[in-house]
Amino acid sequence: MRIARTALATAAALTLGLTAGCAGGKAGPDGAAAATRVFAADNGDVTIPAAPKRVVATGYAVPALLEASAPLVGVSTWNRGIPLMGEADRATYEKLPKVAGEQAAETNYEAVAQADPDLIVIGVPKPALADIDMKRLEAIAPVVAIGPSVPKAWRELSRRQADAAGSLAAFDAVRAEYDKKAAAGAQKYAAVLPKLRLAHLGAYGEVGKGNFQREFNGSWGTNVAQDLGANYYGEVKVRGGGSKDVSEYPSVEELSTAFAQADALTYSVAADGSLPAPVKYVLDSRLWKNLPAVKAGRVFPLRYTEAATYRSALRTLDAADAAFAPLLTK
Amino acid sequence: MILRRRSTRTAALLAALALLAGAAVLSVGVGAHTIAPAQVLRAVLWPGDSADHLVVRDIRLPRAALAVAVGAALAVAGALVQVLTRNPLAEPGILGVTAGAGFAVTLGAAAGVAGGAPLELGVAVLGAAAAAALVGSVGHGSPLRLVLTGVALSSVLAGISLGLRLLLPEVFDRYRFWAVGSLAGREQAETAPALLVIGVGVGCALLLGRQLNAVSLGEDTAAGLGVRVAPVRAAAFLLVTVLAGAATALAGPILFVGLIVPHLVRPLAGASVPWLTAFAAAVGPVLLLLADVGSRLLLPTGELPVAIVTALLGGPVLIWAVRR
Repeated sequence: MRIARTALATAAALTLGLTAGCAGGKAGPDGAAAATRVFAADNGDVTIPAAPKRVVATGYAVPALLEASAPLVGVSTWNRGIPLMGEADRATYEKLPKVAGEQAAETNYEAVAQADPDLIVIGVPKPALADIDMKRLEAIAPVVAIGPSVPKAWRELSRRQADAAGSLAAFDAVRAEYDKKAAAGAQKYAAVLPKLRLAHLGAYGEVGKGNFQREFNGSWGTNVAQDLGANYYGEVKVRGGGSKDVSEYPSVEELSTAFAQADALTYSVAADGSLPAPVKYVLDSRLWKNLPAVKAGRVFPLRYTEAATYRSALRTLDAADAAFAPLLTK
Repeated sequence: MILRRRSTRTAALLAALALLAGAAVLSVGVGAHTIAPAQVLRAVLWPGDSADHLVVRDIRLPRAALAVAVGAALAVAGALVQVLTRNPLAEPGILGVTAGAGFAVTLGAAAGVAGGAPLELGVAVLGAAAAAALVGSVGHGSPLRLVLTGVALSSVLAGISLGLRLLLPEVFDRYRFWAVGSLAGREQAETAPALLVIGVGVGCALLLGRQLNAVSLGEDTAAGLGVRVAPVRAAAFLLVTVLAGAATALAGPILFVGLIVPHLVRPLAGASVPWLTAFAAAVGPVLLLLADVGSRLLLPTGELPVAIVTALLGGPVLIWAVRR
């Protein structure tokens, strides 16, 4: 498997190198031509190296480029993704210099400069770009911002991030693996899942505000289960842009109104299977226990719902498969 | 206009209690989920298992009870601290007592000390006492210095809290609640110990009213009336820290209730500390219940923490009190 990946990566690198050689170029300080290309990013059309050699990644670009085996020389911290990383990616992540914190505002410009990148890939939402001094980063290396919009768009965004970093071949190999597994899962549950009206309880409600998170189709908690054939009915009352187009935060008083029509319910749990506090708050309430789907025992916990890359989503698929398995025996 | 006759004050107190009952009914009747008034009444008197009844019994009634207890505790603590310091700007929040309690609970919880309700209450009271002692020792002698010290301490504690949250985001995300006080999401918490402490504390404050009345006339006069000033002051100080600590353990830091309410009821109570305490115990819950209803209705989607509503009300009142 590893040999195949390496062969694919080498072939892709050669192809990219040849393509880039034809695409454009400019004379470097040593007189050699450095191939470049124009990349369409959130921050406009940016001229970047066709085959970057030293890449800095932040935000959602960190797991995507780790998986794509991009030539990383610095990353932001990405604690939320650690439980989803494979051993090799985790080891690489731990070794890499950390040039920014979890928030865009925590970018360490000196550390970025010290990493001496030839490309910087920023994977933060558009509004968070305001917290970054782009001119300062652009003085170090070309910057492409490719941030998340609606949660399900991680598929396309992670592909663009891998493309910018010149690592499409490795990316496509993992994607093919995911698509194959998802198709098999969808076939397995074809007789049951598509027929259910599902609703999802997310992990990002706020107990201190007395609300809960309901996620619809295309949200973090639901998009991978959808690949197995799950369908989450309804839509948000008010579109708020980004993830708020597919999830909302009603008061816990509205729990019954929100979930009473559901044939089955899913809810997000932590990577170790424990209940996040906002989920526990809802699950411990009598309103939840009084819901028809809960009384019927059609309640399924979903792990790894934060997956934003194909390799981590493979785990999500496995977890969803294990969660939905009782549906096949009923 | 200051009410002087006992019968008039009694009537005013009964009116305040009637207002309290009305605010409590409003609090139980209004929410994100629309329930007909008749259903609300049935849910209270003959509860069933329907979703409407569960909303009233499990969410709205505990929340209203919390608002009554926290409002009474903060208002009585505010009245006591204003009498003790002879400073009309004093209140547990302005003096940093509330922030001290909230910060201590945050720290205790992160360290694994304040796991359950009784421990949380103890840690909150300790934090309140430490903050009160610090502000009292630095700011004594001048009402303005006292307020400035309290505000400065609150800012320092807020800064340290923010720093800790940035350093330990996983731990402190769970305690974001302590940054801004709220009455929401507490219906499943173990609140009985703190509610009991507040009940006893408010009762003790009412009993201590006559002695504090004498102390408020000056130490010599109090001594002449046979009141031992030092123990009375110590008891009042203890009550302030216990009440503010318990209220903060229940709802997080809520500022300005202890400032606004004594100012609102002073025309009714005049110079009488027992009446001031009694009116504060009745009107404090009214203010917090109404602020809590406002917190549910002000935004078209979701709700505001009640501490933001009290801050919106309290800011102008503070300016008014300073300019008076």
